[in-house]
Amino acid sequence: MGKKTIVLGVIGADCHAVGNKILDYSLTAAGYDVVNIGVLSPQEDFINAAIETDAAVIMVSSLYGHGEIDCRGMREKCDEAGLKGIKLYVGGNIVVGKQDFQEVKQRFLKMGFDRVYPPGTTVETALKDLREDLGFAEVIGA
Amino acid sequence: MELKNKKLTEDEFFSLRKEVLTHWPTGQEVDLQDAVDYLKKVPAEKNFALKLRKAKEEGLTLAQPRAGVALIEEHIALLKYLEDEGGADLLPSTIDSYTRQNRYPECQIGIDESMKAGRSLLNGFPAVNHGVKGCRQVYEAIRNPIQARHGTPDARLLSEIIHASGWTSNEGGGISYNIPYAKSVSMEKTIRDWQYCDRLVGFYNEQGIELNREPFGPLTGTLVPPSISNTVAILEALLAAEQGVTNLTVGYGQCGNLIQDIAAIRALEEQTREYLDHFGYPQVFITTVFHQWMGGFPADEAKAFGVISVGAATAALAGATKVIVKTPHEALGIPTKEANAQGIRDTIMTLNLLKGQRMPMSPELAKEIQIIKAETRCMLQSVLEVGKGDFARGTVEAFKLGIIDVPFAPSKYNAGKMMPARDNQGAVRYLMTGNIPFTQDIIDFNKEKLMERGKFENREVTFQMTVDDIFAVGKGNLIGRPEGDKK
Repeated sequence: MGKKTIVLGVIGADCHAVGNKILDYSLTAAGYDVVNIGVLSPQEDFINAAIETDAAVIMVSSLYGHGEIDCRGMREKCDEAGLKGIKLYVGGNIVVGKQDFQEVKQRFLKMGFDRVYPPGTTVETALKDLREDLGFAEVIGA
Repeated sequence: MELKNKKLTEDEFFSLRKEVLTHWPTGQEVDLQDAVDYLKKVPAEKNFALKLRKAKEEGLTLAQPRAGVALIEEHIALLKYLEDEGGADLLPSTIDSYTRQNRYPECQIGIDESMKAGRSLLNGFPAVNHGVKGCRQVYEAIRNPIQARHGTPDARLLSEIIHASGWTSNEGGGISYNIPYAKSVSMEKTIRDWQYCDRLVGFYNEQGIELNREPFGPLTGTLVPPSISNTVAILEALLAAEQGVTNLTVGYGQCGNLIQDIAAIRALEEQTREYLDHFGYPQVFITTVFHQWMGGFPADEAKAFGVISVGAATAALAGATKVIVKTPHEALGIPTKEANAQGIRDTIMTLNLLKGQRMPMSPELAKEIQIIKAETRCMLQSVLEVGKGDFARGTVEAFKLGIIDVPFAPSKYNAGKMMPARDNQGAVRYLMTGNIPFTQDIIDFNKEKLMERGKFENREVTFQMTVDDIFAVGKGNLIGRPEGDKK
């Protein structure tokens, strides 16, 4: 089996690039094929990249608070595009202001996301979930 | 028309202006004569440019928060709270991210949904959608000068609207509001668009109205070496001055090492003066702004106050004219108004305790100032060479060639070949210089400093240091030492 592919990007009108670059670096180092569509990416770009690369996971970052508006309908759009069952992860500062995270998590789970991460999540947490959801990746030179 | 660092003629400006005002229906509300009359009535204590002049003359450091929400009433309540309960000397209006990308229809969705939800779904104030009418309501409701703070590559319509509304300062610039804030907007386009914003300020100046402009200092806010941000600030100062701006605030984002931070502000002010004088703009009045730590924050509010206080202390000891304040909610995103006011009060207390004190010159401080200036000079000289004597053309070329290179920038017009890391005292140095045309002395100095850290930590000097440094402050330390090493 080849390496599992992850589509990575920052959604909406958000230009926070630092975490994106670190995730790219760390996921690649962990043996995944990372397709990084970068910042300021609309839902369509995530979905098109996932179709083109036969990705197993779409990993959405949002740091600027508009995540709630930007992520709406993404699961339905994936279904329509033939990406039924693709794993959708979202993390960062996904809402405006300090809100109860459990409530926020429920809101995003209801939207169809499989994993919802609070601010300050380490890369290790995401790697552990990826292994759980996808099985072990082929690790190169680990 | 070829891009040049040359003041737009009135004809050029007004022909561009006609088109700019059509970008969104509120553009039609902007009437320049009415705006001039309105701005002439702004009292001195509510004029950003004049309040900064006064603060500099008195040797004070002013405190300014960031803040903005979707709806007018709520935004006014927020700003009033920050001046009344927080004690802010200067007020902001942070503009939401859809406006920054000129996506006004999405702002409207955000405004409507915020009304329905009873909470702001936008991360800032959509000033273009609210138009002159809405922005004047904000100006009239508060006591202090107000500034737009954003991250907009094309801020022409936004600038028209805010200045016509009595907002007497605008943050941004053709480099600093492109490279850290956009993915695929060309440098040539943003320089032109910001020449327009600066020319607008120049126009008001010709009518006897002084407005303040502030290049955005911290750039990506992540381990940006002082000489990189100083180079960008000086370039934007030169471009703004040419368009007729006479009141400029150059900025720098805290890196964390006290001596380096103070050296950065001193070098920035002195070198901006030097370049403006040398290239024919001695009339420009320069002030400085120090941004409290722009990187990742600790989630623990008590620890966050530690970060905020050190930032305030550094601004005071450096002699910055103003300090941009962080909040104890920084790690979690946009703060409540209470948390925001706490950040200001913490800052003002620290500033008061240090009032009148400056870090005295020492061999260490002198050495840092000297190295920052030397690095900056290498870049600026090269910009002038590749631009064949023109700073606007030179800036475009310099980014193409990686002569100036901003770490962790989203823009594809940035080379991204330079990499920073902290030295053993926490000062930010160049780990990889990419295509930046430094002298061998400078390259050797940076290498030596990083080797010192590698030796202390008993590891190779690599990108892993950079990664560790990015997360270090969030985890409670300035320097990203290897795990398990808690010295």
